Amino acid sequence: MSVLVRQFRRLWFAGLLAMAWPFVANASGADPATLAKLPRWQALMHVNHGATWRDVGESYVDDDAFFLSPQGKRSPLAELKASIRAMREPGSPARCRFPARFRFIAEQLGWPDAGRGLAHCADYLQFRSELATGQLVLIFPTAYLNSPSSMFGHTLLRLDPEPDPDSTWLSHAINFGANINLQDNSLQYMWRGLAGGYPGQFSIVPYAEKIQEYSRVENRDIWEYPLNLTPDELDWLARHLWALRDINFDYYFLDENCSFRLLELIDVARPEANLLRGWRFAEVPVKTVRALYRAGLVADARFRPSKATELARLSESLSSSERSLARQLLRDPSLAGQPAFQTLAPARQHRVARTAYQALRMDHREGERDTDVATRSLALLRLMQQTPAGAMAQSPPPAPPEAGHDTQTLTMAAGVAHGAAYGEFGYRLSYHDPLDRARGFLPGTGIQGLDLRLRWADGESLALERLHAVNIRSLTPWTTFDRPISWFVAGGLEQRLVDTNDDELMPLLEGGPGASWRWGSLVPYVFGVARLENPSTSRAQFDVGAGAEAGALFYGAGLQVGLTTRWLEFDGGRQRRRSSLTANLPLSRNTALRAACSHERTGGEQANDCSLSLRFFLD
Amino acid sequence: MKKYLVATTLLGASLAAHADAPGGPGCGWGNLLFEGQSGLGVHLMATITNGTSGNATFGMTSGTNGCDVSGSLSYNGTSMLAMNGVLEEVAHDMAAGQGEALTALSVSMGIAPEHRTHFNQLMHSHFNSIFPRQDVTAEQVMAEIVEVMRGDDTMAGYLS
Repeated sequence: MSVLVRQFRRLWFAGLLAMAWPFVANASGADPATLAKLPRWQALMHVNHGATWRDVGESYVDDDAFFLSPQGKRSPLAELKASIRAMREPGSPARCRFPARFRFIAEQLGWPDAGRGLAHCADYLQFRSELATGQLVLIFPTAYLNSPSSMFGHTLLRLDPEPDPDSTWLSHAINFGANINLQDNSLQYMWRGLAGGYPGQFSIVPYAEKIQEYSRVENRDIWEYPLNLTPDELDWLARHLWALRDINFDYYFLDENCSFRLLELIDVARPEANLLRGWRFAEVPVKTVRALYRAGLVADARFRPSKATELARLSESLSSSERSLARQLLRDPSLAGQPAFQTLAPARQHRVARTAYQALRMDHREGERDTDVATRSLALLRLMQQTPAGAMAQSPPPAPPEAGHDTQTLTMAAGVAHGAAYGEFGYRLSYHDPLDRARGFLPGTGIQGLDLRLRWADGESLALERLHAVNIRSLTPWTTFDRPISWFVAGGLEQRLVDTNDDELMPLLEGGPGASWRWGSLVPYVFGVARLENPSTSRAQFDVGAGAEAGALFYGAGLQVGLTTRWLEFDGGRQRRRSSLTANLPLSRNTALRAACSHERTGGEQANDCSLSLRFFLD
Repeated sequence: MKKYLVATTLLGASLAAHADAPGGPGCGWGNLLFEGQSGLGVHLMATITNGTSGNATFGMTSGTNGCDVSGSLSYNGTSMLAMNGVLEEVAHDMAAGQGEALTALSVSMGIAPEHRTHFNQLMHSHFNSIFPRQDVTAEQVMAEIVEVMRGDDTMAGYLS
């Protein structure tokens, strides 16, 4: 009995303490210096805690309009004091501009009007009432077919009226993007993007618009990750979003990009998740997804196929004769009256008509409206409407991007070249080549940035074997309905055989268009190749070469194999032929074993190179 | 309930004031079925950068397709159809009998979950009157949807 009483007493004390705790916390936290250090205030100020290298300790916001104190960008404390001063007065305009700050200050200082303090902010209240905060979803439009530069992807957020809403088309998307100058070309874009030349802003747009943009115009599949943030946490986010309208952040392609900014925003909703503690370089969306998984924020993952994926799936469900019927039908819908179509079972008729319709629309995504195409489109829709849909089996979604290997690569290789043994160390900042484990990636695409290889050959000193700034490859197979152009581009420094029977480090730039096909697990391809290189350190002149490449990729269950051969002739009559065979065996998600052999011939010289390497993926 | 009221008032208004396109001129209400995506190249450039191409938006200052939405983030059936590309999606779903775009339309019009299958079937069976020509506009489609609903006992309740 007395034990029970003692326990009861202990519980009672604990309860009393728990009830009193907020007041104790308030009392001790009322000191601005302490408050300014709280994670929520730091998040509201967008303080850089060392996640990126520029201006550590300062705010990421690059806009005077965001700060009430002249020292605000550098001092969260100065900004807190200025905010308290500006917001103390009921009816103050500062409350309406920064409703999240107001909530923080009013709660922490125990202001009596914390709940009603924004009654005078009509614009904000209207915005807030229209911005539903039932659920926050991370949206990841994945790689763009035939545009590996989008392989990094993009991320945005979506606010749903409630968890699992009936229609997400009616939700709002929160996007962070650079305000780009459309007069700039790609190179200017690359440069300004890297150097921070574009200011970035948050925007809110209908999610239906984003679906149109990604699924229909760009053919990007979308992954949607509902997060488990509570409505109260989302209230912080919604209030803060209001304060961020028209506010500029510098946009840096590599680290302070769209994905990074979204983490800053989620940090405001749940500062305890500590999303921005620790170094985050080369922030790519898949790393953002992994960071959210690690922080326990991700509740689910859902797949939204693009129009191209839908068409591919429909097309795969047809027999080859049905596929060619669909191709004829999209050119002339009146062929539906012919026996070839009429003798099909009704559900098959629907499927053929639907495939024809979707292929026709895919063909004419671009350009002005065309009356003939519109007439055929409507005729095919009529045909669909007249035939019963039947049960349309849903194909299972592919592996999500976060199931893919990590983004950076370390390699250790041993091999033999020119009859001498060598050891090689390699580092690649990003991301994927066509022979890496394809799970979570688009097969046939590769995007590599900053690919470095250092080689110790027997009897020679350490030498730079390769430094590729960029190496992108995109194999988009031809289909019944579409003949896309595959392409590649690479640039950097590499050792190549020259006619003195030795290797020479030379700068190069190469690229070309091509075509590829898909036969089961096999992807054959051909490319035209143009190449600039400077084979001699003694003269500053580039040789221009042209030629062709042919090869095939094989994607087996646990193995990728690539076979390729290339022939080039340079303007001085110099020729180079090179063939290689590479096999890549993934051992786990982040390790792989790779064997490669190549044969190269230039002028009267030739060389063989065979190596075995271990590949580790990290971060 | 609120959504229902908003939807019905807007539908009523659009019928009564036929000439007054919601959102002002040039905001997609006159969009034809199968409208082309012009300037795709520019658009691709903008999206590789994830940029907002020229018209940075923040709900309060703009809406869809440059429509004046008077500081409103809200949707309704009419503005959905005026959105670039959505008319085509709705046409596809009506021909197929179901789909996300059709669901979005019925949700935005405040149609209760238990009536959505019926709504889908109704739209599917009246496909030819809702999309009579290849150059029908969003506005004409919406008017015909209302007409079809008016002739249906269950759906007419959503218009009164």
